[in-house]
Amino acid sequence: MSREWGPTPASRERLPTHPEPASLADILERVLDKGIVVAGDIRVDLLDIELLTIRLRLLIASVERAREMGIDWWEHDPTLSSGARDLAAENQLLRERIGALEAGTSGASRRAGHDGAPAGTAPRRRKSAG
Amino acid sequence: MSPPAGATWVYALSGRLGQAGLDGLDGLDGLRGIGGGQVRALTSGPLTAVVESVDPGLFSAEKLQDRLTDPADLELVARRHHDVVVAVAALGAALPFRLATVYLSDERVRTLLSERCDEFCQALGWLADRTECGVKAWADAEALNRARTAQPSARNPGGRTARPGRADHSGAAYLARRRAELAARAEGQRLAARCGEEIHASLVPLAAASRLHPLHDTRATGETGLQVLNAAYLIDSASLPAFAESARTVAARAGACEVAVTGPWPAYSFADQPDA
Repeated sequence: MSREWGPTPASRERLPTHPEPASLADILERVLDKGIVVAGDIRVDLLDIELLTIRLRLLIASVERAREMGIDWWEHDPTLSSGARDLAAENQLLRERIGALEAGTSGASRRAGHDGAPAGTAPRRRKSAG
Repeated sequence: MSPPAGATWVYALSGRLGQAGLDGLDGLDGLRGIGGGQVRALTSGPLTAVVESVDPGLFSAEKLQDRLTDPADLELVARRHHDVVVAVAALGAALPFRLATVYLSDERVRTLLSERCDEFCQALGWLADRTECGVKAWADAEALNRARTAQPSARNPGGRTARPGRADHSGAAYLARRRAELAARAEGQRLAARCGEEIHASLVPLAAASRLHPLHDTRATGETGLQVLNAAYLIDSASLPAFAESARTVAARAGACEVAVTGPWPAYSFADQPDA
């Protein structure tokens, strides 16, 4: 079974012995969410990082697949372009979605430290047969 | 060379490097930074910050915010930042900075280096000769539950009400079936969570440190199954291949349907809080 996202599916099968192009999703997860945090002079509001990464995950899954197909819908989608951002409203929307997702996992045991995306939700959309 | 006044983007910190060391780097030599400029070494005492002078007009808070919201720009910025961090980490221990750490002058960066010198040096010492390995695992909750209930000794939450070959259309039977379905789903999720815990518990003793990252919702990523582990492990660089093999072995033993081992990574996940 191979994953559809990420430019280097081969790296899932074997570990590279030297750095090779990492998938955009993996890079973003690290450069946006990890690394040493010091207060720079220019404050960039990365939003609630959890919300941003969730948003990016949605985006990345689509961007990389869409790009392969030559689709660039996000450039015309006001919720994903920089032109029409209402961050507070978007923040609220995402919080509601997270709440809804988490409500669906109330019966599942969750691990300490994993307080992000729901751990125990059944996938509704299967992209490939298991 | 006097950098233009304005903005200094910080990529990473390392032990003292000369500019010559940076210029000679494979991959960094000629590598364009985020603003298209040359990546520089900015040294203060025992520490070097790897930085780039960027146009303050193009890297204002507002412009940056917009760039990080644009998918194409975000990818460019993230990849260039990462490429420089990788090149620095190839020289020795490096502390990656979070994306978009920008100062108004080189002097401000030097102040940071001197003010937090002890802390940064301690962190760099901790990371020396170590690398980060990412391990993600996925499980099929339904398959895990089927495998469990297939065992004769297993408790089957739906067993008492399931009567194959005899259709019972009563409301009570419907509710019983519904309860059994929900119980089976909850059990599958519990088994999937335990699968991730098992893998992690087996890998922790092999690593100098570990970090559990938020699990990805596979409905968002379009992946199959449940993500049951998303973790980073700090390991001795030399033991990376053996660690990766262990990760695959324990994931298979724990019942994961897929495992992704990535690395070597600069120590992004371990830059902030050195373990005691």
